[in-house]
Amino acid sequence: MVMTSNRIHPGENDRPDPDALLAQLQQEDAALKSGKLHIYLGMCPGVGKTYAMLQSARQRAGEGVDVLVGIVETHGRPETAVLLERLPVLPRQKLEHREFTLEEFDIDAVLRQRPQLVLVDELAHTNAPGSRHAKRYQDVLELLEAGIDVLTTLNVQHIESQVDIVQQITGVAVHETVPDSILDRAQEIQLIDLSVEHLLQRLAEGKVYLGERAERAAANFFKQGNLTALRELALRFTASQVDRYLEDIRRARRVSSPWKTNARLLVGVGPSPYAESLVRWTRRAATRLNCPWLVVWVEGSRALSPEEQERLTLSLGLARKLGAEVVSVTGESISEALLQVARERNVSQIVVGKPERANWWRKSLADRLIRGSGDIEVCVIRPLAATRQPNSKKLREPVPASLVTEYSWVLAIVFTIASLCWAMSPLTGYMLVALVFLLAIVLAALRFQTGPVLVMATLSALTWNFFFIPPHYTFDIQKVEDWTMFVLFFIVALSMGNLTSRLRIREIAERRRLRQTDTLLRVTQSAALAVELENGLAEALRTIDGLLQASTALVVREADRSLAKSAHRASSFQPSPKEWGVITWTFNNKQCAGRFTDTLPESAAIWFPLQTATSLMGVLGVRMPYEAQLDFNTRQTIETLALQLALVLEKNHFIQAVKQAEVVAQSEKLHRTLLDSVSHEMKTPLAIIQASLEGMHGLRNPYLAEIGTATRRLQRVVDSLLQMSRLESEILKPNLDWCEVRDVITAARQAVGAQLDAHPLRISLAEDFPLIKVDHSLFAQALANILHNAAIYTPEGSGIDVAGSLEDKCFALSIRDHGPGLPSGTEHRVFEKFYRADGTPPGGTGLGLAIARGFIQAQGGRILARNHPGGGAEFVIELEGVETFAPPESASAPKARSP
Amino acid sequence: MIALIIDDEIQIRRLLRLALESRGYTVHEGTTGQLGLQAAVFSKPDVLLLDLGLPDMDGVDVLKRLREWSQVPVLVLSVRDQETAKLAAFDAGADDYVTKPFSTAELMARLTAIQRRHGAGDVANLQAGGVSLDPAHHEATLDGQPLKLTPTEYALLAQLVRHAGRIVTLKQLLRTVWGPQAEQQSHYLRVYVNHLRKKLEGSNLDIRNEPGIGYRLQTRDS
Repeated sequence: MVMTSNRIHPGENDRPDPDALLAQLQQEDAALKSGKLHIYLGMCPGVGKTYAMLQSARQRAGEGVDVLVGIVETHGRPETAVLLERLPVLPRQKLEHREFTLEEFDIDAVLRQRPQLVLVDELAHTNAPGSRHAKRYQDVLELLEAGIDVLTTLNVQHIESQVDIVQQITGVAVHETVPDSILDRAQEIQLIDLSVEHLLQRLAEGKVYLGERAERAAANFFKQGNLTALRELALRFTASQVDRYLEDIRRARRVSSPWKTNARLLVGVGPSPYAESLVRWTRRAATRLNCPWLVVWVEGSRALSPEEQERLTLSLGLARKLGAEVVSVTGESISEALLQVARERNVSQIVVGKPERANWWRKSLADRLIRGSGDIEVCVIRPLAATRQPNSKKLREPVPASLVTEYSWVLAIVFTIASLCWAMSPLTGYMLVALVFLLAIVLAALRFQTGPVLVMATLSALTWNFFFIPPHYTFDIQKVEDWTMFVLFFIVALSMGNLTSRLRIREIAERRRLRQTDTLLRVTQSAALAVELENGLAEALRTIDGLLQASTALVVREADRSLAKSAHRASSFQPSPKEWGVITWTFNNKQCAGRFTDTLPESAAIWFPLQTATSLMGVLGVRMPYEAQLDFNTRQTIETLALQLALVLEKNHFIQAVKQAEVVAQSEKLHRTLLDSVSHEMKTPLAIIQASLEGMHGLRNPYLAEIGTATRRLQRVVDSLLQMSRLESEILKPNLDWCEVRDVITAARQAVGAQLDAHPLRISLAEDFPLIKVDHSLFAQALANILHNAAIYTPEGSGIDVAGSLEDKCFALSIRDHGPGLPSGTEHRVFEKFYRADGTPPGGTGLGLAIARGFIQAQGGRILARNHPGGGAEFVIELEGVETFAPPESASAPKARSP
Repeated sequence: MIALIIDDEIQIRRLLRLALESRGYTVHEGTTGQLGLQAAVFSKPDVLLLDLGLPDMDGVDVLKRLREWSQVPVLVLSVRDQETAKLAAFDAGADDYVTKPFSTAELMARLTAIQRRHGAGDVANLQAGGVSLDPAHHEATLDGQPLKLTPTEYALLAQLVRHAGRIVTLKQLLRTVWGPQAEQQSHYLRVYVNHLRKKLEGSNLDIRNEPGIGYRLQTRDS
């Protein structure tokens, strides 16, 4: 493979690009959440893929994995059927289709049962009509998204990018294909290889197909040559996948660029039947080079027939499915347009099809590209014509009424001019008549389509000859100058007509583009600038309706991130109950679904997820008129519109969130001001009393001692009430920081003060107890309240034990006293506000434990009370999932900067 | 020595005046933030007691305005016992913070501590309790015996000793010992404080934790 060397930048260092590393991390993250895919790949039926898959499934089931057989075809092979025994098999769902009952894989049942591993045979299978997805691989993708592991089987001829090679080898056209992207998602691709001789022997023994089918297969497909070639293909394909896997690993170690090379491929496609083959070839080349690739469609002035339009849509759809970036540009010269895109996008190679036959009067596209390409390489390949015809219903377009009118007009004009000039020709001479006809043709070309104009040109030439060039009433021309004149007239008329109508078509295309751009602008403006979002959305939807000549429905995301239950009131159609299934699917899977897609195509409308870079804002549905097609351009336009709507909705969502936050902040501020002033009013007198008492300390007056005790009590009550009110105002925001548990206990002890002096505190805490991340003051306050409670309710001199433990990130602190314990049955009630046990001494407010619980709950913990079996009450504070930090050896801690 | 009290409560002012005058202070008063700031200009106080809940402006703003031109030691005296309020005051340049209701004895001890630092200057104060620092050699002695410290521990202890008796905020410690990029790394600080506490065991020095605010080096008898 030739690589371009001129684009490698010298001096690029080998340090991993952080963005690429991040992308890889995210990929790995996503891979962790979604299920794992394991593909058993074979060269053809009968090599033992299903057998290998079942063996592995049995082994996994033996290891205790929850395995479910989703669907497995045994093809009547007894060895395979034996393996199926003792594995749970999912019943197939029955689908009524006309007079048949079809059996199909039941994806919903699997999603309901949620096994760890599900077996889905024949990845390339096409589902029966009425299934959710058109193809089985889409079922598999959905299972993977749901986090279920999947084992599946696949033959190499069903891989999209290999299809035309297989056709070249075997002469058999393959219709059931899977996109290469699903193979890229596989965690493991296991090649089931068998020698050709062995396979043929198995076939002869009837182990592959039974009876007559075996003979037919042997005669057609299972030829030595075919099988050898297919085997090579399968081996090579697997080798290339292994190679890429290896490359991934290398890249993970040392990321220099997201792509292995600086190559970038470009392939130009048109409505020709060769386009698909070109796309596949480029995909294979891009995969080998591990580089990005572009598919470019140059829209010229020529109007496409419906058939061409559909072929083009199919080719571009294929390109997207295979992972290309699809670009569409307008330009009269295909080669120039392609080269322009190639230069803008730093393309290293342009891929183009070999011309079918050489034309001496006109250079082929390949020639023109080579001439203008400069340092870009041009790769000319010989594509295969697609055997697949557009499979949707053919719509034979009737000759439109407007065309009939145009032909009538043309006839009438020619007739009128002929009559008028007939009368005038004796005066003016017949040469002027030719000019009048030319003028008429040019004018007509500005209005009419190409067909009528060409007819008009021919008709004019003949009329002029017949009626005006002497001898009259005959096509005979005698003078040489008349001959020359006639031929020149004919050529001028034809080219004028042709040129003018081409200009017109181009103008129409331009106008259409302009209209789309304009619509986009209007949608963005009306939705983004509207004062009321609702009105803006309504206006935007009406604009889209007008552009597409269709009706639209919008389902937006609710504030709680779920989908709204009904369509937005600006919608111009209401989705049917059946349609809601499609809407939900689109929303959950963030993929386009419904009509014109492979997912739930029976739906009346096509649904697009409103997806921004970060969030999914809803779903947009477009219902086209019954017979309409959705071409590539329109689809792109809708996607762009959907993105715009999504951005507008997202912006609105952010604005709402900011407003809400402002309201909350306002009310918090108000509450804080109130609390501040109340606490000021209560605490200031207390401070004055206390300071005055201290000033009189020397007096040792027993009355003053009483005042002192009462003041302290009053102070505690005020503190409790203020704390309670802060707790209930919900403005309590824990401020988590690293704490030393011992510090917290010390702080709590100090807060309780003298009342704890009569109760020795025994702390048992490991010497190297790690730091924990909690709100220091809330925790200390809660602990102080519990300690205070213990001090009040236990006899003087009895000790209090405080013990901390940490297990599995669950921090527990137990506070045990040696008093009478809690009255039985009141263990839960002690945390209630104003609850006071019977016969308790005065001095408590009944709020302390309620506050303790509130403070612990505010930081995500819980608190419980019980009687210790050894006597006394025990309170346990538990914080689950708390962050811890075990001090490392001092050597590994960061060094201080030199003082 | 001159003390300035900025508080709108006349009773508090009177009580503080009594306590301060009995310890030899000359006392000036300011009843609002504006008047307080003016008094700070004219009376040139050696220490300032500031209430946060003033009628005309918030005490934190008074402190910020004052810090634009003056480094006078300021002790904040407030009913606000929230961590956030304390941190805001320290960030604005308070030297210490006492919540109301307060103990007069403790208030006076804190006042003395913040003034001592101010009077002695930043570098000279290299002795607290039994610990002396030798900045030239980065060595410390405890009760005359050499104290084995790692460079980080020395830097941390030096910070605490220089501000002995006063709160040093977490941010301040992290910034001066580890550098500005370490302001969020409080867990390392806590680990080192633990190491220091172990090495100071048996002495009359105690590194006290002020929940959510910082640390204070204190001699046990005070």
